[in-house]
Amino acid sequence: MKARTAAVLAAAVLATASLSACGSDPAAGGGTPKAGGTIVYGHVQEPPCIFGGWIQQAYISRQVLDGLVTLAEDGTVKPWLATKWAVSPDGLKYTFTLKDGVKFTDGTPVDAEAVAWNFDYWENKGGNSTAKVSIDPYYKAAKAIDASTVEIEFNTPFPPFLTLATQGYFGIQSPTAFKSRTEKENCEKPIGSGGFTVKEWKHGEEVVLAKNPGYTSWPATAKHEGPAIVDEVRWKFVADGVSRYASLSTGESHVVYEVPTVNWKDAQSRYQTIRYITPGKPVSFYINTRTGPFTDAAVRKAFAYGADRKSAVEAGFHGVIPYEGNPAVSQATPGYNAEVAKAYAYDPAKANQLLDEAGWTQRNADKVRTKDGKPLTIKLVYGSGFIFTQEGATVLQVLQEQWKQIGFDIKLIPATQAELWGGKYTDPSTFDATPSYWTSPAPSILWIVWRPSTTEKPNGSNRSFYNNETLSAVIQQANSEPDATKANDLYGQAQKIIQDDAAGIGLYTQNSTYAVAQNLKNVWLEKSQGEPVFSDAYFTG
Amino acid sequence: MSTLTVTRAVHLPKVGTVLSLLVVAFVVAAALVPGLLVDGSPTAIDLKSTLEAPSWAHPFGTDDAGRDLFTRVVHGARESLGIGLGATALAFVIAIGLGFTAALAGRVVDAAITRVLEVAFAFPALLLALLVIAVRGPSLATSIAAVGIGSAPGYARMIRGQVLAVRQAGFIEAAAALGHGWFTVIRRHLFPNAMRPLVAVATLGVGQSIVWASALSFLGLGVAPPSSEWGALLDAGRLHITTSWWLEILPGVVIVLVAISVTSLGRTLQNRLGGAAR
Repeated sequence: MKARTAAVLAAAVLATASLSACGSDPAAGGGTPKAGGTIVYGHVQEPPCIFGGWIQQAYISRQVLDGLVTLAEDGTVKPWLATKWAVSPDGLKYTFTLKDGVKFTDGTPVDAEAVAWNFDYWENKGGNSTAKVSIDPYYKAAKAIDASTVEIEFNTPFPPFLTLATQGYFGIQSPTAFKSRTEKENCEKPIGSGGFTVKEWKHGEEVVLAKNPGYTSWPATAKHEGPAIVDEVRWKFVADGVSRYASLSTGESHVVYEVPTVNWKDAQSRYQTIRYITPGKPVSFYINTRTGPFTDAAVRKAFAYGADRKSAVEAGFHGVIPYEGNPAVSQATPGYNAEVAKAYAYDPAKANQLLDEAGWTQRNADKVRTKDGKPLTIKLVYGSGFIFTQEGATVLQVLQEQWKQIGFDIKLIPATQAELWGGKYTDPSTFDATPSYWTSPAPSILWIVWRPSTTEKPNGSNRSFYNNETLSAVIQQANSEPDATKANDLYGQAQKIIQDDAAGIGLYTQNSTYAVAQNLKNVWLEKSQGEPVFSDAYFTG
Repeated sequence: MSTLTVTRAVHLPKVGTVLSLLVVAFVVAAALVPGLLVDGSPTAIDLKSTLEAPSWAHPFGTDDAGRDLFTRVVHGARESLGIGLGATALAFVIAIGLGFTAALAGRVVDAAITRVLEVAFAFPALLLALLVIAVRGPSLATSIAAVGIGSAPGYARMIRGQVLAVRQAGFIEAAAALGHGWFTVIRRHLFPNAMRPLVAVATLGVGQSIVWASALSFLGLGVAPPSSEWGALLDAGRLHITTSWWLEILPGVVIVLVAISVTSLGRTLQNRLGGAAR
């Protein structure tokens, strides 16, 4: 019995694997597959709940919750829980047809009512902040047409919707389970229809995911058909990069996330490796345009010219993580404007000239430039240990030293996650520049980040406090443009406006790096956010 | 009583003491005039010579920004030693206040202070330090305050004990009988005699404080970058331990050497001054 299962499994796996066999790509398959086993995965951060609006939550909720649609390698949207969909001619209505017979792991059906409830939950009940801002304010309503047909309606045409819906934030949960259980149960063990269920969460240590034996709803991009091959995934939280990477060589783990770049070469020679450049906003500086020295665009530009950001990134990350000169979107994002990325190449002479012209002509005893007796001090607040690793912090220190040469006094202020997200650095008076990223598979991320703040509808994500009506109009036009080429052209214009005004300053791409033990095959990353997929993975004998 | 006798025996300095003195002298020089020992800035980057192993040009090698590690260690001495001295001084100021008050202000006050100290004792000193940092946020001043407050309860209890012991000595009674005011008695007789054995303890405390401050920086709770405080160097070097060992090992060796030297000098002092407290 067991042998037969294994043989069938081997045939299925090899059939799909042979399509893409190559070198040390862990998604390539190969070897003699073995059913069962436990994958130990070393992740970095522990989220407050399994699902939610933070990418750390999307990583793990992807294991438990299925989405309507998924993104293929070529950037096209493919079926998942929805087998097909149609867009109305006016672009306002998306009608999805759901896969037949799919059940949540509590036994209730994944039907149109359930999908409509999820949309309402994300958009109107605070269920998922990122799902909300991704399609807000375009989203109008979701309703079930019949058991297997659901319609999502928009106020204004919003073509990026399908691509955005491929993110882990849009994982469908069982409304029955959600309504009948406590908040804590829903947070820790959400019920979806995914390849795994949450068996146990040992806080501070790991989440144990158990195979869903009744799995029928794998995405079109899956590498095998059927339930997960392994029995369990132990999703461990190992914040320390040194121990995390070392756990692979001691055999304590099979897969680790965020390989320290200093170990990347070693990892490539010993393990299977995957590097994924996230689309969306790269790690770039928000520049406070409301108060302080950066209210003057010339000073912002001097700041951009004044440090060799490219060399600093290459040195700090040992050539593994690519520099990103475009502050608005990363090179992995559709509609990326590569020309924009070339602006502000290191030019200290130009930086000095701009500062001289801007009136920062005097220098104090520490050689810091001054204007009207005030020193050119920049408070640079960065997330220490969560947005910036030790390696990222080195990059900032290199930049600090270069900025010092042209007369900037940069105060590096490491902030903990609690401080940064708790609002300590929300007020414009608390910082001048702050680097961070926001992953998204579509350039409509520009709207989330750069939507002008108004009194009625403040935009806390616009950390540059940059209210530019022209920019706002261009992004909105792009968001509703049905022709992809024209839309990308408009998104490109938006990127240029941001760059030309130095409302943000580019630094590096946000990367997800993985190292996978040699005896574990078919671990792959979904395309929209680089979430690892374990339901196709198997050990070789 | 041992607290009162001051040994006058002549000691020949031991090799260990001499070496310790040399190390401490070097570190004090580094803290006061780092320019005497190294040229160049501790933050000067050189992206063309990153992660170089120790050599004549870079005796401690370079880090991932091409900064010379030896220069960084020398310049880090001021902060590391500063935290060590500052924290110990702060601890003693607090401890003297509490210890003397407890010992001299009557039973009720004594009981109250003693209870508070016992509660403080229930928490490891490092935990108290973390509490201070959680409230104030990491910085040089906070590190000093954190380590100082963290280690104060231990000293306070010792001081209270010393004061109680010395208070019963004949010369205190004599001084009081001679009609000196209580303030004069405390200042001229009680304080110097109670504190003498603690000089050695304080010296030991400096070494301990340097280690604690390094621990805090190592946990990312110390001084802000690009400071080259030794604990921060350790923290930064950790990532490279398998690839560029010098970034981790050498600052670690420096911390150990300095802590051992200061402690060894403290022991020597203790022997000379007599009276081992605790």
